[in-house]
This record gives sequence, structure tokens and C-alpha cells, in this order.
Amino acid sequence: MDNVLKNSRQTSERAENSYFEGDRVIWIVVFMLAAISILVVYSAAGSLAFRRMEGDTEYYLLKHASLVLLSLVAMWLCHKVDFRYYSRLSRFALLISVPILIATWFFGTTINEATRWITIPFINQSFQASDLAKLALIANVASMLSKRQQSIHEFQRAILPILFWCGLICGLIALSDLSGAALLFATCVLLMFIGRVPVRYLGMLFFIGITVAILALQIGQRKETAMRRFTNFISTDHKEIPFQTEQSYIAIASGELTGKGPGNSDQRNFLPYPYSDFIFAIIVEEYGLFGGFFVIMLYLTLLYRGMLAMAKSERAFGGLLSAGLSFSLVVQAFVHMGVTLGVVPVTGLPLPLLSMGGTSLFFTGIALGIILSVSRGEIEDLEPQTQADEEKIFRRG
Amino acid sequence: MYEARKYIIQFVILIGIIIYAIKLLSVQVLTEEHRLRAENISIHAIPEYPTRGLIYDRTGKLLVSNQPVYDIEIIGRKLEIKDTLAFCELFSIDTAYLHKKLSKANYGLQRFKRTLFIKQLSAVDYARIQDRLSDIRGLYPVPRTIRTYPLSCFASGLGYVKEIDQFMLDKDTLNYYKRGDLIGRSGLEASYEKDLRGKRGVHYIMYDRLGIARGAYKGGEYDTLPEMGRDLHASIDAELQIYGEKLMQNKIGAVVAIEPSTGEILALISAPTYDPNMLAGEGLEVSRNFAKLLQDPNKPLFNRAIQSTHPPGSTFKVTEALMALEDGVIDPQRGRISCIQDPIGCHPHPSPLDLQASIQHSCNPFYYRLFMQIVRQDFGTGSSKENERIGLQRWHDYAQSLGLGRKLGLDLPNEKPGLIPSPAYYDKVYKNRPQGWKLSNVYSLSIGQGEMGTVPLQLANLAAIIANRGYYYVPHLIKGIAEREIDSLYRTKQYTKISPKHFDLVANGMADVVRAGTARRAQIDGIEVCGKTGTVQNPHGEDHSIFISFAPKDNPKIAIAVIVENSGFGGTWAAPIASLMIEKYINREISEKSQIHKEKRILEADFIRQKAERDARKRVRDSLKRVQKYRNQEPEIKKEKEKKALPTELQVQDLKINMDTLPYKRPMIPLSLPNSKAAPLLPSDNRKKY
Repeated sequence: MDNVLKNSRQTSERAENSYFEGDRVIWIVVFMLAAISILVVYSAAGSLAFRRMEGDTEYYLLKHASLVLLSLVAMWLCHKVDFRYYSRLSRFALLISVPILIATWFFGTTINEATRWITIPFINQSFQASDLAKLALIANVASMLSKRQQSIHEFQRAILPILFWCGLICGLIALSDLSGAALLFATCVLLMFIGRVPVRYLGMLFFIGITVAILALQIGQRKETAMRRFTNFISTDHKEIPFQTEQSYIAIASGELTGKGPGNSDQRNFLPYPYSDFIFAIIVEEYGLFGGFFVIMLYLTLLYRGMLAMAKSERAFGGLLSAGLSFSLVVQAFVHMGVTLGVVPVTGLPLPLLSMGGTSLFFTGIALGIILSVSRGEIEDLEPQTQADEEKIFRRG
Repeated sequence: MYEARKYIIQFVILIGIIIYAIKLLSVQVLTEEHRLRAENISIHAIPEYPTRGLIYDRTGKLLVSNQPVYDIEIIGRKLEIKDTLAFCELFSIDTAYLHKKLSKANYGLQRFKRTLFIKQLSAVDYARIQDRLSDIRGLYPVPRTIRTYPLSCFASGLGYVKEIDQFMLDKDTLNYYKRGDLIGRSGLEASYEKDLRGKRGVHYIMYDRLGIARGAYKGGEYDTLPEMGRDLHASIDAELQIYGEKLMQNKIGAVVAIEPSTGEILALISAPTYDPNMLAGEGLEVSRNFAKLLQDPNKPLFNRAIQSTHPPGSTFKVTEALMALEDGVIDPQRGRISCIQDPIGCHPHPSPLDLQASIQHSCNPFYYRLFMQIVRQDFGTGSSKENERIGLQRWHDYAQSLGLGRKLGLDLPNEKPGLIPSPAYYDKVYKNRPQGWKLSNVYSLSIGQGEMGTVPLQLANLAAIIANRGYYYVPHLIKGIAEREIDSLYRTKQYTKISPKHFDLVANGMADVVRAGTARRAQIDGIEVCGKTGTVQNPHGEDHSIFISFAPKDNPKIAIAVIVENSGFGGTWAAPIASLMIEKYINREISEKSQIHKEKRILEADFIRQKAERDARKRVRDSLKRVQKYRNQEPEIKKEKEKKALPTELQVQDLKINMDTLPYKRPMIPLSLPNSKAAPLLPSDNRKKY
């Protein structure tokens, strides 16, 4: 009797595994974040609904929920693809992202003095090109690093192309979104650090980064904003706390340990972009310190599982890909929380998977899908135990 | 070497998490500051009220102005009075008043709230004590502006402003108004509300955690300045208006004077009137005044000049004369009609009369015949009944084209249309009678009686049409508005269906009325006055006295209609009032002769008292009648009736004795006092100021 039960449980697990393969912890974390996201955005977008949609708050609920669903679908599809495929795919994506970024710079939609969005013709959906470029660059750096592991000490062959692509893509993004570019750059540096690039080249990369940043600031449109925010941040005069940070402090402070409860936020009416750039403040306000720590723990878990995939990976590419993507997500999340907590200069970064925003959600889904694909690949390699494989082994045997 | 990198990364992440945790804890748990601010930070939008536009009369005298006043409010719990006597002296109040207010302010939960201590302290008084107020805790001066009426006249036309109520807020679909806004509720204040109100500004102030204003929000980026309301220049002649109100004291009725060449209204009087300052501002006293005016049986809030409808009486005969001339049913030179006293009676005068003399002597049978001739023309339908219908419709259309029985379009709210009956109207009234209606049912229309109703404004406009010999401008109360032209409706000549050539004969007839006809009392030395009297029978008592008039005959300066309810003949009361008004307007003063012969008598007449006495007598009479009836009834019915409380004889006697305490709303006039001065009535009380 016991055996029968055991067998049936095993078969059911296997059946589940065939739909949701890869690291199950990552799946759980993702579903939790998606659920939290829908709850918090519904609450935080209330004022937006009243401003734009005449109080139809369900509009943003439905829109956001369907976008979350779309990103989950994208994630599922991506995790089904063998990760080795992404090496070639990323090169292609990187090549097309350059003209798209340039097109965005010239023809894009300007929101809050930043040209980051381009409207896709025919479907009339705005699209943030930097998200695509970010993903493509990380995957590509991982790919290039893994290919050149043998000749990693040769500058011309191994390091130069990587530096070129990093500089180009980060520079183009920095024209309109300096913090996003800086974050991407940091992720790439981290990736190279893991990818065994000698420290002297990394030092060189650092100088390239600064040069590119200054250049982008001079040409781009964000110079004043960036300068103002940065001087604001480092100035010791504490009376000059920026408005956003001040409001965000109030949100966090009034949340106390257990929060005001879902939907009871007051600061959503004062904070700019409570549904994206300051969603963490709303989370802490509504769910308290515990809620905030819980979300932080979810991201740390994500990072840990991503790193675990790297550690287990036999192939350099898979490991670097997984590490790069999970770093990119988690670092972005931490910078977002840092803005909310005032330990990082004010910048408008969404919280991956939690904030409202179509493109960001979609590409976060893809990134998570790739991480899962890597983890799945490893599991397959190490212990080929699907039913089909077992049968094959059995027949051959 | 590469193993070390792993630890470096782990170390960096750990440091990051520690920093975050410390910051999160410090913001939330360790510092109180932000939590307090969460409760206290606020941005207040302070509305900045614009000054409401002023209203001037045609000569530039200020009719309505704004006055800054200060209400002094106290919070009972916070108020600290160190020296009671000095405190009383400061506000020039006695200790009794102070104690009364303090006990009110300290009662129950009220002690935590603001209580009105001194109402509407003038700006001068406030400036005097301002310095010393800051030393006293718990005392709050609240600045307000109230409308004041320096000349205390023209209450019915000016209207009043009030704080907007929920009903009006719901009606305001444009969402301009906010709670606490002032809005014009009647009169010119209401009809020119959009000009007068100006545009509200707003000032955003940020309050810090201590609740102290930290100055403008974002440096005043979103603040707007208030725009002052536009000034109105009313067409009213304040001097004439005040004089007219004085003449109409102790009377019920209306006077409307129009400048015929422009249609501007020179005076619009509804009697009895009241002092508009009674309703200025807010507060208990104002609402008490309002209730008092509302309950007054003579209805001072009812603007009789544009809302009361009476049959025009004989004044209507001039319109019929015009119709007859237009339709050619009478030869103005040779057509004569005898006064046969049938079917309508008449007063003694020469007979037979031609058309012009018929106006002079106001012959009733003449106009009966004329009416029949106008209505019974052959319109070629072959049926006399059909002809009559067309005739009456034609008669109706003529009257309406002369501005009777329809809204003229005055720039005041709630103008009443009155009624000129048409065949359709009679069809409706007689619809339950199988044989319908006939001309013999309606012939009293011929002398301006019956179902007809006209508004004093329409009668004045009729006088203006005759004065202009055939056209008019829509009567209006506004001469000009700052920065804006008046409505084009008021600048367009309106013609009637009567051709202008026929008006001269009627004007001559009206001149004869004053020279040697029914209104000799309207004569003024040096001014040729034209007029027509009207004496309107009504079910409420004495006849209404009506007079329409214009002067001088050539190039008229003023057209006027006067109606005095329940007073007597048109020539006896309305005509002298009209002539005094004309004299005042044209000569700017009243000659000694007129003062002795007319003014004194008019000012002394008190029809309100007469009416009150009549009503009181009628009540007693009715009660006695009922008692009589009750006594004569059979004993059985008597028993039955006993259950219902009818006044017993004893009670009726009480009634007779205590007439003064009868439940009348207005201050009582003792019944049996033919000689003694009547108790001062409300409107006349106000008149003392002149």
C-alpha cells in the first residue's frame, strides 16, 4: 500500500516537473513576488487611476495582472529552451539593440525629461529599449567570457571585444538613463570579476566606464538631473533631504513593524510613482518591517539559487549566464530599495517583477526563464532521470 | 586566487545587507521624526477670495460695497483673561455680556471648539484693539467681507449674497464653487453672479510636523492670484428709487419707472420693502431677520414689481384703442359710441365719445363695443364662431406684442409672465362644459378685467412703448459692466404689431386724461404728463389703484407704472404717486405746491394698517358667524359637533377683548385706535434713516 502511494506521488512530481522544470525554489519565489506585485500595485496605482482613468482602479489591476501573466508565460517559454541556444540568440539581440537604442534616442517618447521609450508601430505599445539591450549584453558577456576562458589573459583577443560592447551599450543607455547604465556596467564588471578576468583589466574597464559616463552626460539629457541628485545625496546638510526620500521615509516610518495593512497606504498620494519607483516604500508601509524583510529575503533567495546554479554548472557559459542575470536582477532590486531607504542617490529604477511597467516585467520574466533554463540544464546533465530517459536506459540495458 | 573572489563577493553582499538593515531600522525604529511627520506633514490649500464687484447707480452713487469685518472667536478652554474689566473695556462690552458668552463657550464639548464672541467688528475698531489681542490666548480674529448697502435701498432688485449651501453645490455642475463660497442668491447679485464673483485664487501652504506653516509649497509654484469681480453700473437712479420707496411706505404695491429711449429701469420698487443690510452677512441675527421677512404677511421678499400679477384694469384700454386703429374697426375722427351703461356700468361723463375722448374719460361700454368689433371681424371663415376664435387670437397676439402676458427678459431672476388669455386657454378652462365658451363669457377682458394678469413691469413697458410711439427696448437694470458690454438683447429696438403712426392719437388721449380726465391729480406745472388710470376690482377688498404714465409728452424722459393694492381709484392714489416720481426725476425736486397737495397726503396714507384692521375684523366676524351657525343647529348635530373643538362664546369674547394678542405675525396694531399712532411697522422703521 505504502509503495503504491509513494509511486503515485513520484509520478505526480515527475508530471509536474515536466511542466515546470528547473529549480523549484526559484519558481516559488517568482510566484510569490508576482502575487505581492499584483496586491501592491493595485493599492499604489489608486491615485493614478483617479488621475487618468476617472477612478476606474480595476483598470490598472487588470492591466497589471495581465502583464504579470504575460511575463510568466514568457518565463515559462524561455525556461523550456536549452540555455546553450542563448549564446547565439544574445549576439543577435545585441546587434539589433544598437539601432533600436539609437532610434529611441532620436524618435522616442519623452517622459519626465528622459527619452527612454519607443512606441512599437502597429500595436501601439511603448517599449523600453534599454531592457532588451541589458539582457542581450549580459548574456553576450557571459557567452564571450566562457568562450575565451582559455585565453583570458590575452588582452587583444579576449578582453577588447567585451570592453567594446560594454562601453557601447552602456554609453547608449547612459544618454537617457544614467543610473540604469551604471547598474548594467557594474553587473558586467561583476561578471568579468567572476569570469576570471585579471584585475588590471578590470581597473582599465573602470576608467573606460568613467570616460563613457562623462561623455554620455555631456551629450545626453540627464546631466543636470544626475548632478543635482548626486550633490543632493553627498551634501552633508541634512535639511536638504530630497522630497521623494523624505516622503519615502515617512512611508517606511509609518509602516511600523506590521504595517498599515493591504490597501491602507497614505503615502501613495504623496510619493511620485508609488507603483514603480517607490513601490518598496509602499510595501513597507502596508506590510511593515516584516513585509519589507520578507521581500528582501525573496530576492536574496533568488540570488542564492542563481549562484547555486553557477556553482553546480559544469559549463562556464551556463554559470556565468545565471550569475550575470541573477546579479542584474538582484542588484537592481537592491538599488531600488536603497533609493527608498536613502542610502543611494534618488533614481527611478523599478523593482524587478514587483513594479508596474510592461517592458521591465517582460524582460525580467525572460531573464528568470533563462536562469531556470540554466538550472534545468544542470539537473538534466547531472541526473538524467525523466521517465523517458529511464525507459531509454532500461531498453538499452 | 580565483577562490578569493568568491569570498570577496560574499563579503560585499553581506556588507550591503547589513547597511540596508541598519538604515531600515534607523528610519523606522530608532528615529521618531519621520513617524511624527507622517502624522503631521500636510499641504493646505488656502483659498484666496476675490473682492466681489461693486454696484453703482446711474449717477455713480455706490449702491453695494464690500466691508471688511472681523468676527472675534474664542475657545473656552484656552481663553485666559487676566483682568476682566480691562478685557470688557477693550471690546466695550459689559460684564454681563462677557459672562453670558463665557458660559456658552465653556458649556460641554463646546469648550474645545470656537465660539463666536463678537460679531462683525468693523475694521476701524479692529485696528484699534489689534495690538492688544495678540497678548490674549484663545482669541481668534476671523476676517470676513460682507456686502453693505450704503443707501439702504433697492432691496428687491439688488438681492443678497449668502454662503453657498449643499443644494446649490449639487446644482453647480461646473464645480466652480466650494463650501464657504459666497453666491448671489437673488436679484442682480444672482443674475450677474459670473461678473460679480471674480475668480478665486489659491495659496498652498506646507505645514511642518509641529503644525507650523513653513511657507509656500514649492515656492508658490502652484499658487494663483484672485481676480477681482467686475463692477456693475445699474440703471437705477438711487435718488428716485429712495424717493419712490418713501412714497410707497405703508402701502402694498409696486412702482416701475423706465427711460423709454433706452429701456433702462430708473426705479423698481416693490412695497413693502426692507433694508438690504438686514440680510447682509451671516449669523443668527441675519437668519432671524430672514425668517421675520419670510413670515411677514405682506411678503416683503416677494418682488411685486416683477412677480405680482393683477388685471390691468382700464389701463388696458389704451392697448385696445391701438388694436382698433391697427385693424381699422373705428374711424378715429368720426366714429362715436354712446355710453349706454350696458352690459358694463360706467361713471358719469359726456356721451357719446370718439376714440381719443374715450381714453380721456375711460368709458366702459365704449370699450366693450370696441372689443366686440375687434374680435368679431369677418376673417372669411364663414362661421361666426370661427371668426371669433381668430379674432380673439389676433387680440391676444396684439397684446403680447405690446409686451403683456409674457416674460420680457428683464435681467432679474424669477420674472413672472402674467397672462393674456387666448382661445386655447379658454378651451382648456371650459373643457368640462359641453357647449364650450362664448364671447359673452369673456367680455370683461374688454375693460382689462377677468382672466387677464399683467405685471407692473409690463405696464411700465407699455407706457414706454406709447412714449416711444411704437417701439421699446427690453427693460433692463444694468447700464454697463466693467470690461464687458451689456447683452445685445438690451441694445436692440423691439417693434410691436401696431404700426407707429397710430400711437400719436393714444398719446394725445393720455395727455387729456391728465389735463381734464380721470387723473387730474397727476398734473405737474410745466410738464405735460400723459397717463391712464386703472381701477381694478378684486376679491380682496378695495380696488387696486393703477396708473401708467409718461412725461413729457414730446421727447419723453420717463415712463412709469404705479400700482397700489386695495387703496381705491386709479386717479386717487397711483396717479399722484406717479406724478411725484416724474416731478422728482425731471425737476430733481418737488415743488412746494406738490408737497402740500400730494406728497403729504401720500406719505400719510397707511393701507397696510387698513388691511390689518380689515383682516382682524373679518376674523372676528367669521368667528361670530360660526358661533351663530352652531347655535342655530339642531341639538343632535350640536352634540355631534361638540366633540370637535369649536370656539365657545366665551372664547369668542376673549377673542374680541384680546385682539392685540391674536396670532398675527406682524407687530400688532390695536384695533380701536382711530387716532393713535400705529405701532411702528417694520419697513417704516427703516425709513427713519432718510
